[in-house]
Amino acid sequence: MIETWLLWLFAATALAGAALMLVLQHPMRVALALIATMLSLAGVYALLGVHVIAIFQVLIYVGAVMVFMVYAIMLLDVRDRSFTRRFSRLLVPGVIAAVLFLAVIVHALWRALPAEGGGDGAGALFALQRFSVEFLNEYWLHFELVSVLLVAAVVAAVAVLEIGRKSRG
Amino acid sequence: MSHPLTLIVLLPLAGFLLNGLFGNRLGKGFVSAVGCGLPILAFLTAIKCFFLLRAGGGAPLLDTTYTWASFGDSSFEVSFYFDVLSAVMVLIVTGVGSLIHVYSIGYMKEDASYARYFAYLNLFLFFMLLLVLGRSLLVLFVGWEGVGLASYLLIGFWFEDPDKARAGKKAFITNRVGDAGFLLGMFLLYQALGTLDADRINAAFMAPTLPAVSASVVGVLLFIGASGKSAQIPLHVWLPDAMAGPTPVSALIHAATMVTAGVYMVSRLSGIYMHAPEASAIIAAIGVLTAFFAATIAIAQNDIKKVLAYSTISQLGFMFVAAGVGAYGVAIFHLYTHAFFKACLFLGAGSVIHALGGEQDIRKMGGLARRIPVTFATFAIATAAIAGIPPLAGFFSKDEILWYAFASSSGGSPLLYAVAAVTALLTAFYMFRLLWLTFFGRSRMSAEVEHHVHESPLSMTGVLVVLAALSAIGGFLALPHFLEPLLPLPAAVPAFEHFETPLLVLSIAIAVLGLAAAAYIYSDDGQRAAGLRKRFAGLYQVLSNKYYVDELYDWLIGRPLYWISERIFLRLGDQKLIDGTLHGLADLGRRTAGGLSRVQNGSLHLYALLVLAGIIVSLAWSFRHG
Amino acid sequence: MLVATSLALFALGLLGVIVRRNVLIMLMCMELMLNGVNLSLVAFAQQAASAAGAVLVFLIFVVATAEIAIAIPIVLLLVRRRDALDIDAYADLRG
Repeated sequence: MIETWLLWLFAATALAGAALMLVLQHPMRVALALIATMLSLAGVYALLGVHVIAIFQVLIYVGAVMVFMVYAIMLLDVRDRSFTRRFSRLLVPGVIAAVLFLAVIVHALWRALPAEGGGDGAGALFALQRFSVEFLNEYWLHFELVSVLLVAAVVAAVAVLEIGRKSRG
Repeated sequence: MSHPLTLIVLLPLAGFLLNGLFGNRLGKGFVSAVGCGLPILAFLTAIKCFFLLRAGGGAPLLDTTYTWASFGDSSFEVSFYFDVLSAVMVLIVTGVGSLIHVYSIGYMKEDASYARYFAYLNLFLFFMLLLVLGRSLLVLFVGWEGVGLASYLLIGFWFEDPDKARAGKKAFITNRVGDAGFLLGMFLLYQALGTLDADRINAAFMAPTLPAVSASVVGVLLFIGASGKSAQIPLHVWLPDAMAGPTPVSALIHAATMVTAGVYMVSRLSGIYMHAPEASAIIAAIGVLTAFFAATIAIAQNDIKKVLAYSTISQLGFMFVAAGVGAYGVAIFHLYTHAFFKACLFLGAGSVIHALGGEQDIRKMGGLARRIPVTFATFAIATAAIAGIPPLAGFFSKDEILWYAFASSSGGSPLLYAVAAVTALLTAFYMFRLLWLTFFGRSRMSAEVEHHVHESPLSMTGVLVVLAALSAIGGFLALPHFLEPLLPLPAAVPAFEHFETPLLVLSIAIAVLGLAAAAYIYSDDGQRAAGLRKRFAGLYQVLSNKYYVDELYDWLIGRPLYWISERIFLRLGDQKLIDGTLHGLADLGRRTAGGLSRVQNGSLHLYALLVLAGIIVSLAWSFRHG
Repeated sequence: MLVATSLALFALGLLGVIVRRNVLIMLMCMELMLNGVNLSLVAFAQQAASAAGAVLVFLIFVVATAEIAIAIPIVLLLVRRRDALDIDAYADLRG
């Protein structure tokens, strides 16, 4: 019972953070709103029983990605037009399109969704030990490919540094 | 020789091809040999055919060469037909034609386009022979158009001069107007009779039951074509301008042969015209009007060739008068004598022009009789012939025409005779005027021209002598009787029969009167003439401007057509509609592209929005099959 | 309900990309979209009791990290050169 209540709470917080992201002016505050959303989502994952994912959400997303983002925001404190005028020219068309999008998707999913429930039975599936064994046994190929992707990312980062260094002389 | 007629036709064609393709490379000797030799060969072959005809008792020779087109059970063949009428025509065409070719050797010696000239002359002969030898009207029409083409090429021979080129165009276009009538006539004939063979057409009309087409309508339509080719009113305007071509061309085409094609065609289809009294009346009327009209203009012209041109128109009118009253044989007789003396006159004029180094205005000539005696003698004989002085050729033919104009039971009338007789008087007058002003009297030439006056070479004077001799004795050949089996002469109205001898005397009197009048007016060095010109100044103005016919045509037809062409077809049709559509389409493409390219403005926001819109549309679309 | 939330998150993220001007904020909205997708994946994986869902979420984490690791330096260099954080300053591919 309390779980459902908490679930609703965390979902609401996530949505609130997302909505705030769209409205706040200062980029730093936007970043903080996003962190809030992500933490709420981690809570949702935990409540659903996928503790592994919840932990990784906090560690990777909040801990690495958002920290990096905050660094970038701190470095680029440029107060130009984007600061004073938050919204682009396509505000109204954008809102309308987003509403339409939601309508269309909801309409599409309405009939296709299975009944909610059938929920916790899979909790055991996501215990850490079980998860990692499955992960590295069955999905080892995906694991390897993703590591290749990371290597590529590292190479790209070094290249960007080189370009940056060259352009600065 | 199994196909002599085809040979006659093909010899000049070979000449055209040889001279046209190789003439420039093989030199003037080759060109002259081929260009004159082949027509002479054709003439000899024609003589042979003539004897074959006589040996066969007058039965026509037929030479079927080639089937042009056949559909169902009817077909169009190219076949050649040789009866007494064709014999006369072929002998004139090849005979006088060969003489004129020989004359051209001397006349065109200095010209740079020597080979082209002979090629075109041979081409003309080829088409003319197609015309006179063709059995079917279709072959005749091919020849008809072909001589028109050759005429255009030769009138505009010195095409660097735009006026001369324009004269060639005028000739061709005026001919085409007449050809429209000719074609309509042919269509009617084919529809009614299913054949275009001339002898079959004549037979059909002479048969007891007439074909289901009005002979008069066909007759008039065909005559429209004839009046285009033979320069009758109202399509006569091209012939004076055609004098822009070299003089031998004027002699051959616009005097002896091409312009007589209309007379030949009417005589060939005599079967139709004998049953078409209305058409024949129209022919006679137009003939005599044209004759009178052209003669009045001729007395006020000052260019030696123009006088002869109007004289040709006038004489052609006489030929049509004869055809219009049913005396086809007499028309051909006059065609025959006219070929001799008119060719002689034109070639003589050419000799004079050659002697004077290019001068053509008779007001600047005079006193040439002693300086160029051969030219003078031949010119004088030909002038007497055309005026109708016995016993020269012209007297016989013209007298027959006048007689039948008066007394023919199928259309002759005293009124017709009267107009024709006045025209004959005028003919004598202007021809002697021409002779006088050119050869007699005080010399009005400029000093340097006078210094260079010389007689023409033998190739030219020889031909002149031959033609003059033929003009003198040619009349003794009783051509109308020779042609009578084919072209019967009409009976004379009984009441007029006893007028024959008086009219004969009257003809002689007319000729002498004309001579005397000219001698009187022009013998005193032009003073009386100048006085007359002042007294009748208005009339003189109208006559020397040829009744302003060209100006009338230009105002009536030329300018409206030009206006339509420019305003409607050029500006509206071409520029606004066609160009406008093209430019409009191109513009539309450009504007559409311009509009569409505004999507790509570099703004990521817009791109993202468009992606979202695309997703929405695709999802919504998928609901159709939902 | 969770699916609805994930939809909302995704839509808000997409809207943010269309609507906000600041480059960094646009990047953060893209992260938001990824998070929305993650949530839906987890919800479906839980309902279907499938391990593939969790694995996919994990992979998405890694990919998002790599993406950010490259995107932010690129943005840094661009902003340093042009001295503007407004995305309209980078409309060079106009055509």
